[in-house]
Amino acid sequence: MIPFLAVFAVALCVALVIVVISVMTGFLDMVRSSGKTLMGDVVVSYPIRGIPDYERLVAAITAKPEAAAATPVVDTWGLLRMPYPAGDAKESEQIQIWGIEPASFAAVTGFADTLKWKAVPEDTAADMRWDLVRQHASELLDGMSESQKVLLLRLTARDELDGATDDVVRRIVAKESPRDLQNRLGLLSFNLADITKVLGPEGIAVLAEAAPRLWNPDIVISDGLTLKRNGRPAMVSGLHVSKANLRTSTGDYAISAGGHWWMPRFQGTLTTLPIDSRGGLLEPESVILPFANEFSSGVYIIDQSRVMVPIETVQRLTHLDASERVDPDDPTRVLSTTPARATMVLVRATDGVDAETLQAAVRAAYEEFEQAADKAGRKVPLLGRDPGLGILTWEQQNASFIGPVEKERELMRTLFSIVYLVCGALIVAIFWAIVYEKTRDIGILRSIGATRIGIVHIFLLYGLFVGTLGALGGIGLGWLVTTNMEAIHESMSDPPLWLGVAFLVAAASMLLWTIWNRQNGKLLPMLLGVLGSLVLAGIGVGELLIRSSGGIVLWDPAVYYFTEIPHTVDWTSAWITAGGAVICSVIAAAIPAARAADIDPVGALRYE
Amino acid sequence: MSNPLLQTHELCKTYRLGRVEVPVLKGCSMHVNSGEFLAVLGSSGSGKSTLLHLMGGLDRPDVGGGEILHDGSSLASRSARQLDRYRARTVGFVFQFYHLLPELSVLENAMLPGLVPGGVGAVEARKRAHELLGRFGLEHRLHHRPRELSGGERQRTAIARALANNPDVLLADEPTGNLDVQTGGEILDLIQEAHQGGLTIVMVTHDQRIADRADRSVQLIDGRLQPS
Repeated sequence: MIPFLAVFAVALCVALVIVVISVMTGFLDMVRSSGKTLMGDVVVSYPIRGIPDYERLVAAITAKPEAAAATPVVDTWGLLRMPYPAGDAKESEQIQIWGIEPASFAAVTGFADTLKWKAVPEDTAADMRWDLVRQHASELLDGMSESQKVLLLRLTARDELDGATDDVVRRIVAKESPRDLQNRLGLLSFNLADITKVLGPEGIAVLAEAAPRLWNPDIVISDGLTLKRNGRPAMVSGLHVSKANLRTSTGDYAISAGGHWWMPRFQGTLTTLPIDSRGGLLEPESVILPFANEFSSGVYIIDQSRVMVPIETVQRLTHLDASERVDPDDPTRVLSTTPARATMVLVRATDGVDAETLQAAVRAAYEEFEQAADKAGRKVPLLGRDPGLGILTWEQQNASFIGPVEKERELMRTLFSIVYLVCGALIVAIFWAIVYEKTRDIGILRSIGATRIGIVHIFLLYGLFVGTLGALGGIGLGWLVTTNMEAIHESMSDPPLWLGVAFLVAAASMLLWTIWNRQNGKLLPMLLGVLGSLVLAGIGVGELLIRSSGGIVLWDPAVYYFTEIPHTVDWTSAWITAGGAVICSVIAAAIPAARAADIDPVGALRYE
Repeated sequence: MSNPLLQTHELCKTYRLGRVEVPVLKGCSMHVNSGEFLAVLGSSGSGKSTLLHLMGGLDRPDVGGGEILHDGSSLASRSARQLDRYRARTVGFVFQFYHLLPELSVLENAMLPGLVPGGVGAVEARKRAHELLGRFGLEHRLHHRPRELSGGERQRTAIARALANNPDVLLADEPTGNLDVQTGGEILDLIQEAHQGGLTIVMVTHDQRIADRADRSVQLIDGRLQPS
């Protein structure tokens, strides 16, 4: 019984450390890898004024073997007027606007994979079909044959027309007003199979022409990839920009109003404040752009505040586009030209090249770009001269964010070394008790010739056994908890009723069983029974309390940056932890082992 | 005449009980010849067990309190490790309260001394345990725990354990003290049988009738030995 307690204690400690370190490491890995998804490995940045002739810089960088791809970005802040709510008073969101070249941007970042919508969501599609059918109702009705109308009537009238012959139905159709028939079509539009049957290929072709996305999901993706809708510039916003995208407890997204507020159906207004060459604010610039798709990078702050827009559009909004200065007296005379500018160039490393090596290569490319500009008499920001110009790796760029996370993990490690101490102290105490219990046996062993070292050996082996068993159990438990983290978290945020009830029932039956089986007033079993049922009842009541207060959300994406909890075990740390636990157990066992070896055999044998 | 197998010379042993020093042995001199069955008679608390522990190398006499000779050489001159080996190979203890390990089976208890350093080794120990337990009528009890045995069966297991490493001397401390007369008699028969097989035996008891079964007996009175 006592050794099991020790094994259990070790297992719990190991599991605890493994879970915490795994989550922290997973978190750090997500931070690190999100760099690749969001902005490649190295960033050349020159905010606000921008790097002119960036195409030459991109060419110089991609000429380096270390760089796999490079892409220019213009970033700025602005407001996005959302399409919701219905009515005139629309909401606006503060937004970070990234002007991108979609093709090369997708080559540098994981943009293509972050696109949320691979097709029109089912609810939205039904909503859109309804709109579409109502808009084209008269046209559709004109194109329908009599038998199609009969089918329409049969399908919308349900069982009322059961048994009626086609002739009867045809007579009813003739009596129906066009408006009634249009309403029937609208009603049927929610059922894709039925409406397809009634309209036939010709009718569907009419709808497909008006809204090709509904019948061809590829368009939804390619719209997102090219930042276009119906061939015109469009934007892709982060999934959490729109308040109409609601995260469900299962981690999926529901679109509010039964799928109505799906952003790619609508358009929004982007407004920015351009800055002139002297740093002063100019008149606000606005542009209305349709939404093409939405992206979900998994990094909450990005998904909540960024919108991707074609680079030319943002250059116009920020006055970073190519411009000419003309003589006010003679507008045909061009005094000077200013090339288009980009505030960032993102670079992705070739596979196997680390960010630091790439950084050096990009630096070299920038120097070439500088020299070429100097020869041609063009002005570009200079490395080492212009303080705003930076060539940074993703980790350097986000040091203020990654640094604290790393520190947090180290802090956790340190704090949890204290758990090891607790674990060690527990083993010392438990083994001390075992030695006390086995004093007589130790005397017996000495009397048959066992050496003191032999006695120490027995207890060290015992410690090794307890430590190993506990560590393995802890790894198992840690793995179980870590990989099921989402499910556990979910059940905490929405605890099922049956669980609380089950705990209360278990508590009640344990209490009853204890009272029923009270053995002639023995105190210990009574106490254990009562305590056990109290603990069970406590868990049950706590669970119900959490439930009644709407659950607790531990992993709030707004706090932890990512929308999902890391749930893979950090095996390196896990084995180190387990090894540490085994070593701690053996060391802890050494203390009582030494006491056991010091036991006077004569005293021990007299001990009855 | 050859040296006696075991010899004590003016043995003194004092215990401390709190602040009080209690002299238990005040100069015990005796010898046991090889192949002899010696009984040490004494009332309870007379120091019989202490004498046995000293002879078995479990305890050491007071500083300057005499010496114990085994085959003519003093135990005091031996290192802790040599004493461990002495306990493993030369002597075998039998106690009044059996002192079996409760977690181990009868067979494992009887094998145990074979596994300590200096023991005969696991294979030989198993063979010898089977043989001894068989001879003592315990073959049907090999895999039972001590708590499932009767007192007599426990003591027979303890004797098998004491003989596991083929010792020179059996040191028996009131081996029948916890048993009824008939069972005690059976145990004494067993010990006598071992003695007839050539084993040297030192048995302490408070019972004159039991001491009578020995070749010779000495009496421990007031910390000193007298022939009886």
